[in-house]
Amino acid sequence: MKKSLFVALLFFFSSQISHAQLVRTLVNESQEVDLTFHAPRHINLLTVEPLDKKTLHFAIMHTFGTLDGGFRNLYGLDNGAVIQFSFEYAFSDKFSLGASRQSRDKIYNLYGRYHLLKQTQDNKIPISLSFMGGAGINTSDYSFLAESNPNFAERSSFAFQMMAARKFSDKISIQISPMMAYFVDPNPIFLIEGDQNLYLALGLSGKYKITGKSSLTLQWIPNLNNDLRNNLGLGIDLEAGGHVFQMYFVTSQMLNEQYLLAGGNGVPGEQFRLGFNVNRVFATGRKKQSN
Amino acid sequence: MKNLLFSIIFTCFFFQENFSFGQEYLTKEGKLVFLSKASLSEFTGESKQLNGLVDLENNLLDFYVDLNTIQTGIGLRDRHMRENYLETKKYPFAEFTGKMRSVPDLQEGQKMEVNAIGLFKIHGVEKEIEVKGYLTKIKADQIQLEANFSVLLSDYKIDIPKVMFYELAEEQEVTISAILPKK
Repeated sequence: MKKSLFVALLFFFSSQISHAQLVRTLVNESQEVDLTFHAPRHINLLTVEPLDKKTLHFAIMHTFGTLDGGFRNLYGLDNGAVIQFSFEYAFSDKFSLGASRQSRDKIYNLYGRYHLLKQTQDNKIPISLSFMGGAGINTSDYSFLAESNPNFAERSSFAFQMMAARKFSDKISIQISPMMAYFVDPNPIFLIEGDQNLYLALGLSGKYKITGKSSLTLQWIPNLNNDLRNNLGLGIDLEAGGHVFQMYFVTSQMLNEQYLLAGGNGVPGEQFRLGFNVNRVFATGRKKQSN
Repeated sequence: MKNLLFSIIFTCFFFQENFSFGQEYLTKEGKLVFLSKASLSEFTGESKQLNGLVDLENNLLDFYVDLNTIQTGIGLRDRHMRENYLETKKYPFAEFTGKMRSVPDLQEGQKMEVNAIGLFKIHGVEKEIEVKGYLTKIKADQIQLEANFSVLLSDYKIDIPKVMFYELAEEQEVTISAILPKK
């Protein structure tokens, strides 16, 4: 009896279902996650955030003097800024090439980023993984050194890093970046604190989204093979008007990848420096609609 | 137990079978375009993966689109749209389920006006809307549907960005067009 009742019920329901709605299915369950970070840069570090093919990313980054100058020096703003401009162009959705120039030591860098993996929403790929490699040249004028004016090779330095990031939720993203920098000749005349050739560090970047368009940001870069102070940064990212503004306090005044590891850091707290990045993406050529 | 299982399977089969005698038209490749017409900037977003069902026998209209498939031509704008405004991870679909005020008697080659009434759902908010559209029987086993309606973003609790490099209109014009083969 019960059985037949059940069957009758089933009958009833399936007849309802047969003229009911379509089943909602996602076109792509393995869709890539969006916006792990707000921009390709996050305080001092590059992120896994890719650029769309044929877009140009422009960043202008500054750090000012240390806060311990107090109000008299307007908390470091009087000391003049270290500035880095960077342009990065995406040749594909996975690969981009960039050029940057930092004012300290007038260093020009060429770098590339390659995005190997992109985290998917269904976690089939749990992390995003990208690589960055770069080479730079110090173009300061050392002609006053008459004899020991460093040559091109001695002025060059290299950076390499791997960025592994995961967007844990809508709010929280974390990136771990093993980094290295190599100076062919860590000349004491360079504005770096280290005297080794090779610098190893582990960058940690965190984002905590507070509203749709702003996040608190954190960066900690412990050095692995030297006694230089570690880099600590805290800040806020704001999306506005198509720009991503990044304001932060950081212990390093350097912005270039190699100098970031070799340049030394102040004591967190009174030797924090105010830093400020502006990121902007320019689309070149409208993408064609595709299916 | 075996019997029960058998009945279930039978039931399913039976109705599956029954299905094809109806007047159901189905597509997965409908086109949806929205136009955002703000005073300073105008842009469109488009998906060619609109799913639709028009059941003339039971007077049922059912449409949905995976919002992740909508593209506006600028990748970053798409990402902002998904992440900040439509929140597609939480609410992946825009849906309309309703019926026609009266089911037209379709003759081949004739364009008929239909008025549909039903529930439109996006961003987790449901609202009853009325949509005027046109149905055309273009072939014996194919109908074409065209409709447009406007969506007020505030009705669906979708924030409008205040400072953005693209201005977003409060009122979005949505146009759908689809060719639905008979199931």
